[in-house]
This record gives sequence, C-alpha cells and structure tokens, in this order.
Amino acid sequence: MIEIEGLRKRHGQREVLKGVGLSVSAGEVAVLIGASGSGKTTLLRCINGLEEFDEGTLTVGKLIMRGGQRPTSTELAALRRAAGMVFQGFHLFPHLTALDNLTLAPQSVLREPRESAEERARALLDRVGLGGRERSFPHALSGGEQQRVAIARALLMRPLVLLLDEPTSALDPRNASEVLAILQELAEEGQTMVVATHAMTFAKSAATTVHVMSDGAMIEKGTPAEVFEDPKHEATRRILRADE
Amino acid sequence: MKRVSRLALTAGVVVFVLCFGGAARADDLAAVRARGILIWGADQEGGGPYVYMDPDDPTKLVGYEVDLAEAVAAQLGVRAQFSQGQWDKLPDLLRTQKIDIVINGYELDESRADAMEASKPYYVYALQLLARKGEALDWTSLAQRADPKRRVGVLRGSAADTYSAKRLGDAVEIVGYDGNTVSMREVETHKLDATVQDTPIAAFYAPSFPGLEPRGDPVAPGYYVIYARKGERALVAEIDRAVARLLASGELERLYRKYGLWNEQQRALAELHGVTLAPPGAEPTPGSEPAPIVAGPRKRGWAIFRDYGGILVQSAGMTVLLSVVSFPIAIALGLLIAVGRLYGPRSLRPLLVGYVELIRGTPLMLQLFFIFFFLPEIGIRPSAMVTAICGLAINYSAYESEIFRAGLQAVPHGQTEAALALGMSRWSAIVHVVIPQAIRVVIPPVVNDLVALLKDTSVCSVITIMELTKRYSVLSMSTQATVELTFLTALLYLAMSVPLSIAARKLEARLDPKRARA
Repeated sequence: MIEIEGLRKRHGQREVLKGVGLSVSAGEVAVLIGASGSGKTTLLRCINGLEEFDEGTLTVGKLIMRGGQRPTSTELAALRRAAGMVFQGFHLFPHLTALDNLTLAPQSVLREPRESAEERARALLDRVGLGGRERSFPHALSGGEQQRVAIARALLMRPLVLLLDEPTSALDPRNASEVLAILQELAEEGQTMVVATHAMTFAKSAATTVHVMSDGAMIEKGTPAEVFEDPKHEATRRILRADE
Repeated sequence: MKRVSRLALTAGVVVFVLCFGGAARADDLAAVRARGILIWGADQEGGGPYVYMDPDDPTKLVGYEVDLAEAVAAQLGVRAQFSQGQWDKLPDLLRTQKIDIVINGYELDESRADAMEASKPYYVYALQLLARKGEALDWTSLAQRADPKRRVGVLRGSAADTYSAKRLGDAVEIVGYDGNTVSMREVETHKLDATVQDTPIAAFYAPSFPGLEPRGDPVAPGYYVIYARKGERALVAEIDRAVARLLASGELERLYRKYGLWNEQQRALAELHGVTLAPPGAEPTPGSEPAPIVAGPRKRGWAIFRDYGGILVQSAGMTVLLSVVSFPIAIALGLLIAVGRLYGPRSLRPLLVGYVELIRGTPLMLQLFFIFFFLPEIGIRPSAMVTAICGLAINYSAYESEIFRAGLQAVPHGQTEAALALGMSRWSAIVHVVIPQAIRVVIPPVVNDLVALLKDTSVCSVITIMELTKRYSVLSMSTQATVELTFLTALLYLAMSVPLSIAARKLEARLDPKRARA
C-alpha cells in the first residue's frame, strides 16, 4: 500500500528527513512515535503531497513519486485522493456546517451529486458518533467532535490510506479518548492508517507496527510488544519514558 | 467671467491636446444643419444672468445666454440644445466634439482665440466695484494702504482678478473665489471690504444683496464672444451673421433689456458687426416695458425645502444610480486583482501591482478627464454616464483589491492545506474555502468604501454629470439659500449612507457562523 525508500528532505541547510524508509501493507496500522521535531509530521505531509522531497521514492497504491521531481497537478490530485489527511488542529472550514465540511470535496473533486454526497456524509457522521449534528458549525462543536468531523471528512473521499498527524494532541483526555475509540474501530474494520501520535496506550492496542523516529531517521520498528516491552535503542527508551 | 484652469485639471488633458490637437475636423455647420440641432455648452452653476436655474421652476433653465442661443439657432434654422459642463472644462467639451459652441460669458482673449474659433462680440461687459452701503470705499481709497490690509474678493483667475491686482497692487489683499456670488456674500457679512464683478453679475444680483452698492463707473470693458472649434470658420461666420441680424432688428436689445443688461456700451456692438441700430427714438419710454428680470430677494427656510427638495431628491437618484452600478464592478475587479496578485502566475503580479499603484496614486478626477477627454482623441467616445461608471469602478477596484488581499491573507494557511489535502485543486480551495471566509472579514472596510464612493460620485460633475452635489452647487448659486440647501443635501447623503451601514451590519451578522443558529 505504502512503500517509502530513502526519503530525504531539506529545509534550507537543515536535513529534516535523512533517508527514511517505511512500508505499510493494506489493512495495517502504522504508528509513528518520536519526539517533537523528529520528522513525523514532515513525513506524513510528504505522503500527502503537501511537501515535496529531495531524494528517494514514495509509492502509494500504484502511484510512484520520485524525489527532486516536481509532481504534476494530476499526480498531486491522485496522491491526495489516495492518502487522506487529518491534522492536529482539525482545520475544519469554519464557514460551513459539519455536513458541508464533508460534502465540499466530493462535490468539487469527484463531481459527486449533492444528494449522494450528503447521504454518504450523514452515514459517516453517524459512524463517528455525530448523528444529529450535521447542521452544527465547527465553533459549536467540542474539540473531540471537530476532530471526528475531520476524520469523517477525510474518509468520505475513500482514501486508500488515512494519515493522522497527532490527532489527539490538541485535545483534553476525555475528548482524546473519544477520538482514539473511533480510530480503534476503524483499525479493526481494516482501514489502512499511518498515525503519528504520543498516545502510547492507543499505539499498544491498535498498531500493527510501531515505527520510532529520531532526528529525521527511522531508528527502530517492530510490533507493539517488541518496541514497548523490549526497546533496542536508547533513544526509544527515552521517548517511551517521556510519553508514559 | 474668465477663469484659468487649475493646474490639476489641465495636467491630464493639456499634454494630449498638444499631441493630438491637430486632428482633422468635420464641417460643423453642415453637421449642425443636418442634425437640426445646435448644441451649446455652458455651466449653470455660473449663475445669473448668464445661464441659471429658474428659481420658480428648478427644472427650467433661463438666462440671457439661453435666449441668445435660441435666437441664434433660430437664425440658423435649427433648434438649440443646452449641454451642461463645468465652466473651465467647456473648451475640452468643445474640442472633443461633445458640444458645437460655447456661450458662457467667455471673454475675447488671445490665448483662447488661438485654441478656438472666436465669433464677433455679442456683449460688452465692464468691471464694477461693489462695497457696503455707507462705507466710503472706491478705487482711489482702496489703492491707499490701510492697516490691517483691506480685502477685495474676485472670481479666481477672472479679468476682475487680473485688473484688481494690477490697479491696487500690494495695497489690498486680493482674495480669489470659485463662485461668482460668493464674494458678494462675503462683503455683506464683513469678511471682505469690497468685490469686483462683471457688470451683468453686479446688475443681476443687486436685489439679492441689498447691503451692497456700486462704487464709481464700470472700468476695463471687454467682450464676450461665442467660441467654436478651431477652424470652423463657416459656422462662426454664420453665427456672426445671425448676431448681426438680431442686432439690426432690435431683437438683441430687447433680449438684453429683458434682463436689464442693455446699456450705452452695447452700441459698440453695432460698429463691430457693421450694422445700424434702430434710432434712440425707438427706445421705449420708461414704465411702458416690463421690469427687467433680476435675481429676486433670497428665499429662506421652509420655502427652500418645498421648492427644491424634489429636484435634489431627483439628483440624489443619479448619485445612487452611479454608485449601485459602479460599485459591484469595482468589487468584482478588485477581487480578481487580489486573487491574481496572491495566487496568479508570477508574471502577472508586477502588472497588477502596477495597476493598483497607478490607479490608487492618481486622483479620480484626473482619471475621469482621461477617459472623457483623452479617449475621444484616439477615436473612442464614451458617454458621460459610461465614463462616470467606468471611472468610478476602475478607481475603486484598486482600493477594493487591497482590502480583498488583506482579507484573503487573513484566512489561516491551514485552511488551504486542509482543502488541498482533500484533493481539491488550488483554484477550488480559493473559491470554496478561502474567499468565503475572506468576504466576512472585508465587509466593514468594503462598506466603508461604498459610502466613500457615494460621496465621490460628486467628482463626476466635472464630466457634465448632474448629481446631488452639483445640483446643490447650482441651486445655492441661483438661490443664495446656502444654509438650508447644505442642510437638505447633507440629510439626503445621510439618507443614502446610513441604511447602507445598517444593511452591512446585518449582512455581517448573517455571514458570521458564530451567530448562526447551531
């Protein structure tokens, strides 16, 4: 599903991704852990095409992107459809209702008729526990509810893989657990996901593979049991202690 | 009644006149005859007795030049049609073929006669010194320096201005005004000591200013002439023949007597036109002819509201029309420019920046002149209405684009990224996500500009549009009821702008999702 090899990216002089590799099969949940600034967010943004990278290859589904080549707008559109993105700060459209937040992209990108998009959107909002809140504007929703709308918004585009960038970091524990419960269910249903998170309990229970990033590189990977019970790397131990 | 064009007014036009002024002309006389209409230009704001609004019927124009234009046209076998123009822009209207002739107290003057074709004189005027009754002031005493310096009002740039400055020198302070009668009022209210006026004005407005009286005989006589486009000798010759016939038949004398303007000096006209006047014996005995038309005593108070409210409201309609047509165009253009600057191709951006700087950095009046007086030189002849709407729309588009640019930039970048991450194109992210959020932010400054535009429409009077402010000027010049008219006009502007502000606040509230029902 996702195959990344030797991904390098520079921000000016600083190299933020130093030859990163990542492999995610269909139905897997890959969890990225690592200190802030270790490159998790940048990696996710590269997968979604919000950022270009300098070297390496990125394969999502049948789409292959190579470093240093400027993607065409067609390629970008295909990449973004394949990889849905959920942000730490939700980024709901404040001028649209929950329902319209969901249906805007299907109508404008997929040319889906409004009725059909709305029908699917209602089902998805129901699915994330927000049945009856279709007409609410984002400001009237709690953080947890907003993030669930954002997840539904990404899912409505039927992405191959859902990318989540610290989806609960901006939430209080109660709201965070609501969102994590939804993600847990999605994982069980077989939705392929790449989640950057500090929520270790979620990582332990939902992850297929845990990938540890430090200073722009992948330093360790394994099943939750391997990484959490028997971390090989000193840096991993530091991360786990910090996020306990 | 001579006024030099102000620097700002000429800058945009004169350069192009020099470049394109020599364009070939059609035969105007033939054109006028074919049309059956002689279009003559004048400024009714100049007031009586030349061309002014009938105080009893504000929809009607009267004045001895109205009668003269009609009489001349009749001699030519055509109909006269009046065309309003700002006084000092009449030569431009003539040059750009918007009018056939100028009849508006224009003096025979060397520089004018170089640029236009002058007829023989149709009136002999002179300069009259006016001062308050009971105060011993004349040319001689004025020339003696007093402490503090005495103040003498004149029409700025007029022959009276030049003459007074030359004769009185440093002994007095010469104060220039733009209106004919303003300085008469200033003498009456003791802000000035005296004023120098053309004889027709001094005679006509005497009843309106009972506190003033003439001092000494009129001095420095000069001629009023009709001007046509340079080279239109056939038309001018025909006009000269017409005036000569009117003079010989006594019709011109009757016409001038109607306004109390006939005097001994006019006998010089006969010699200039090579005709013989009817013998003095034919002069009607005093009392047998109706009293000459002069300005009446000033109306005051409610009578002003009753008599002129209607026509002011009608002119406010023009103000509204100009605003509601031009502003949506300005907004659309402004939005396109802002979007182009922020998201358009890089090569386009300097062009758009240049447009905004050029338009924002030059006065609206200059832009209107450019469209109205320059474009005709290269064969494009927009009407005054089209010019006004385009000028206002273009001028305001520069301001609106800056507001929209700020509004678009105020939308967090995460919003665009969220839309892009969903696979939306940059364009649909802008249209569906960024612009709707920006619009809410820009409503207050945009409405602010709409109110400003409402008032800026008054600038369009320079290209012959008669809107609220111009109507106000014309009315206050012809009625002298400035206080009442100012109040009424201000009230009308408020009646237009206040509802706009209220509507804007409502719209703002409606577009704010925080106040929408959740």
